[in-house]
Amino acid sequence: MIINSKWLKDYTDFQYTPDELGERLTYLGLEADQIANPVKKLNKIVIGLVKGVEDHPDADRLKVCQVFDGNQDRQIICGAPNVQDNIKVPLALPGCELPEGKISEVKLRGLKSEGMIPAEDELGISDDHSGIIILPKDAEVGIDFVQYYEDRFGTSYDIDLTPNRPDCTSHIGVARDITLLTESELNLPEVSFQETGPDINNYTTINIHNPDGCPRYAARIIHNVKIKESPQWLQDRLKSIGLRPINNIVDAANFVLMETGQPLHTFDYDRLKGQEINVRMSEDGEEVVTLDGQKREMDDNILLICDAEEPVAIAGIMGLENSEITDSTTNILLESAYFNPASIRYGSKYLGLQTDASYRFERGIDPENVIYALNRVTELILEIAGGKVCQNLIDNYPKMIVAPEVKVRFERINKIIGEKFDPEWVTKKFKKLGCKILDQSKESITLKSPSWRPDLEREIDYIEEVIRIYGMEKVKSAPKISIQPDYLRNQRYDFNQKVRNKLAAYGYQEVFNNSLFSIEETEYNLFDLEPIKIKNPLSRELAYMRTNLLAGLIDTAANNINRNNKNLRFFEIGYVNDLNFEKDNKADEYQYFSMLLSGNLEPVSWKYNNRRTADIYDLKGDASSLVNYFTEIEPEYAKSNLDTDKYANIIEVILEDDLLGFLCQVKEELLDDKYNIEEQSLFVFEGSLEILYKYFDSETNYTPVSNYPAIERDISILVDTDKLVGSIIEIIENNGGDNLQEVQFYDLYQGKNIEEGKKSLTFNLIFQNPDRTLKDNEIDQQINLIFKNLKKQVNAKLR
Amino acid sequence: MDIFDEVKDSKQKFQEELSELPIDEKAIEDFRIKYLGKKGIIKHYFNQFGKVPNDRKKEFGKLMNSFKQEVTQAVESLEQKLNEKQKKQEFFDYTLPGTRPVEGSIHPLSKTMDDILNIFKDIGFSTELGPEVETDYYNFQALNFPENHPARDTQDTFFVEDDVVLRTHTSPIQVRTMEKQKPPIRILAPGRTFRNEAIDASHYCTFHQIEGLYIDKDVTFSELKTTLYLFVKKYFGEEIDLRFRPSFFPFTEPSAEVDISCFKCGGNGEQCSLCKGSGWLEILGCGMVDPNVLSASDIDPEKYTGYAFGMGIERIAMLKYGIDDIRLLYGSDKRFLKQFKQL
Ligand SMILES: [Zn+2]
Repeated sequence: MIINSKWLKDYTDFQYTPDELGERLTYLGLEADQIANPVKKLNKIVIGLVKGVEDHPDADRLKVCQVFDGNQDRQIICGAPNVQDNIKVPLALPGCELPEGKISEVKLRGLKSEGMIPAEDELGISDDHSGIIILPKDAEVGIDFVQYYEDRFGTSYDIDLTPNRPDCTSHIGVARDITLLTESELNLPEVSFQETGPDINNYTTINIHNPDGCPRYAARIIHNVKIKESPQWLQDRLKSIGLRPINNIVDAANFVLMETGQPLHTFDYDRLKGQEINVRMSEDGEEVVTLDGQKREMDDNILLICDAEEPVAIAGIMGLENSEITDSTTNILLESAYFNPASIRYGSKYLGLQTDASYRFERGIDPENVIYALNRVTELILEIAGGKVCQNLIDNYPKMIVAPEVKVRFERINKIIGEKFDPEWVTKKFKKLGCKILDQSKESITLKSPSWRPDLEREIDYIEEVIRIYGMEKVKSAPKISIQPDYLRNQRYDFNQKVRNKLAAYGYQEVFNNSLFSIEETEYNLFDLEPIKIKNPLSRELAYMRTNLLAGLIDTAANNINRNNKNLRFFEIGYVNDLNFEKDNKADEYQYFSMLLSGNLEPVSWKYNNRRTADIYDLKGDASSLVNYFTEIEPEYAKSNLDTDKYANIIEVILEDDLLGFLCQVKEELLDDKYNIEEQSLFVFEGSLEILYKYFDSETNYTPVSNYPAIERDISILVDTDKLVGSIIEIIENNGGDNLQEVQFYDLYQGKNIEEGKKSLTFNLIFQNPDRTLKDNEIDQQINLIFKNLKKQVNAKLR
Repeated sequence: MDIFDEVKDSKQKFQEELSELPIDEKAIEDFRIKYLGKKGIIKHYFNQFGKVPNDRKKEFGKLMNSFKQEVTQAVESLEQKLNEKQKKQEFFDYTLPGTRPVEGSIHPLSKTMDDILNIFKDIGFSTELGPEVETDYYNFQALNFPENHPARDTQDTFFVEDDVVLRTHTSPIQVRTMEKQKPPIRILAPGRTFRNEAIDASHYCTFHQIEGLYIDKDVTFSELKTTLYLFVKKYFGEEIDLRFRPSFFPFTEPSAEVDISCFKCGGNGEQCSLCKGSGWLEILGCGMVDPNVLSASDIDPEKYTGYAFGMGIERIAMLKYGIDDIRLLYGSDKRFLKQFKQL
């Protein structure tokens, strides 16, 4: 909402500079952004008087004007259609720098021009280029135009109004708030006029069929108005807050709206059928055409203003075309009403239509201001549009709005704010807010809230007023704060941090991806989850809550690869959701951690020519190591039977009784088709962080290191190619005896010198005893046992 | 001492000198000249050949030849060693790049959240979490957002069902915590939140918040101020100033917005693109917990008071690191990510 400083001064006096006023309003909770004065940076523009206009001898469209600049006459060549003798205009002198360029003396079709008379767009005031700016007659010739402009229009502010302050949707409202800071009073314009027309009751009746939606409806009728342009002062006022003047009747209603905060509506009386106004709820499917030419269909819950036959306005939101005033309107009916905020908000939301009126009604206007505003606009219309106003007004007020009574304890103020307030000062400020004091004691004060402050319903609302008026910046910071031991540390959250840091130490980079994705992306699932659909999504691509992290991770990797970032280690920790509203209306939420590996494992180096390329075993190693680090458990692996067109070689990672996650390769065809990636493989892991946490072992177990020598032995065997290395290691471990400390598989060979269908495997075994030196023959025995079992179980041959 | 003894003695000295001789160009050359030079020791003894009795001349010749051979071999070997040493020194290039590990990185939003949580951890705030898919009750009603109230317009909401939403803020965690725990309550609630806003340089439909809540006897606005001063000065720097201005949130009253002095222009605002000339940057909202919110969770507002504050992590991270487009934070380029680490 836009507020103008000059306009505010009509209602109260203050001495703030433009910057100070903005700051004071902001500290009052009315966050004010000063609107830059468009002409502020201009110079060398004075007010000139056009003293003679003649046709240019060599150009049809151009005029030769003599313009007095306060010191001398200047010849100005001007092409504007509205230039004429004896008008006052801004005159840009040579040297003046306008947004479009610098003014200098030029010759136009052979005649010199000693300056320029600008249009609004040339000064950056608006985009109007229809003609030059013509100033009011009282403008003083020769003075600086920028100064003149500032004096005439004041400074405007865009106020970002919070929903709790309906009282400040007007200049009077903001002026009233300023009086809380100053010693000045609020001066409301006095209203007086003569009711010279016939009795209004002969012309209309108001029937309110829905008093909950419309607690108060008042009207006046004015006969014989003359629609024309508004006077300059009124046009200036509206322009100063960014409104475009339309005609005297519309402008008057807009002016009073911006002055008092009361929305007003004007009907062309002669277009209303039957001598009655009916306020009722819409019927389901009822259609109307609003002022903006839009056809709108309603449900059965929208408040309508109707004549004897049909709707003429959507209450509190917008009038309809069928009763709109036109240039030929002579008789008008003025509406000033109080509509129920929730009702107007519902209608405005339903129709998708917010107006200056609905903005105020839905916040709650002042129900006791309805008549004042009606009289104020009547007075103004009589003054600028003539006519006769009917005797009496109609004020139908079936449902009285009663301001709440609130008891405020002085001690409670101090308890909330943490500073001692003087009850006398507090009382004084409450009075200035417009409260009625109903009762007062040493401990407390009982107040009736002013009708324009529907937000003041409870004691706490008044405590907020105290700190607002006193100034939050003045409240002292407490000298100390109470600290309590962190006895509720969230282990689960800390665990996330640990996992994150560990993955970063492995060289993985953390990424964040959107939680919303498309239905197609659920096909990247490895875990079985049902996606949650958004009823009002931004787009098809963002219509579901994600059920996996891999779709996003692969997409991020693809974007990187396509930007030539080819060596990638990424991870994400995030939530996925499973549709399940049966349990207490909650979706099932899981936290996953996912990893992606692709490209070369090592950076470029002069030390080696061939960098290793990542494969699934590299990712498996990283994942196993991570799991082992946090759980002290060696996970088990199983081949997955999942059938998907996204992944190949899927391995299940199992931690005791739980499925921790999946390791796999993204299918080459998918990379090629969807992401345009060739010659590069992507390997991914998706796992449940909750399962990992379930087995989290934060205890450190120390065992002494043996001081006796370790003995190493290598075993090389030949087995059929389909034998699993994992099961062979198991056989070795099961038969290695207590002294076998470690089995490392370090060579796999197939091909030359090896029988078809066989592979050669080599293992390194380390034996050690904590208490003594091992003898060769004990180890030989153990190795023999291992061989025997390898032969028996996997038909291994020694090499 | 006869000449035989002299030579033997000299041989002995030679061995001693040899064993202590450094592998150094000058030392070796001096050594060579001393023994093999024109006026060297070997020459000196050969010149005394005449003085040797005839019957022992043969013996002396043998002795001298072996001495000379010994010295020559020793010098050759020394020169070779020297040569090798020099060769080695020539090829040691200490500027060759070391072999580095691949470095990972922590996302700037994680880093920002952790940094903020750590500051509050020091003064006894624990961490609480809550679900991303929330009920209307926890997201709005229990937080004093009446139905059909303009306050709901400030939060464009994604709906799953009529009464199920994607949480628009992390404030529902307040309510969930107050339901299960009695005061004193002192928590931070970080998490992902959602607003139905079109994606552009400063809006993303997914974003993050941290909310703080403290409820106890005698908690005041004044203490809230102290706490936030502490946070701002620790996180943004000692020189940063802050201001509180009245605002409105349904779940706090009195409510305030907190601005910090712009760290780009030092608060003077002139021509500053970051604060757009105001000298201030809005960073968080806060206030005293509304009595309705306490009552909704069965906490007696007459007995307990509390404060709450909340901030957008994206905004804080973007301000802190000078990131001008929120979209850089999602699905990021690895060269962008590389710059953030947990320190
Ligand atoms: Zn700045």
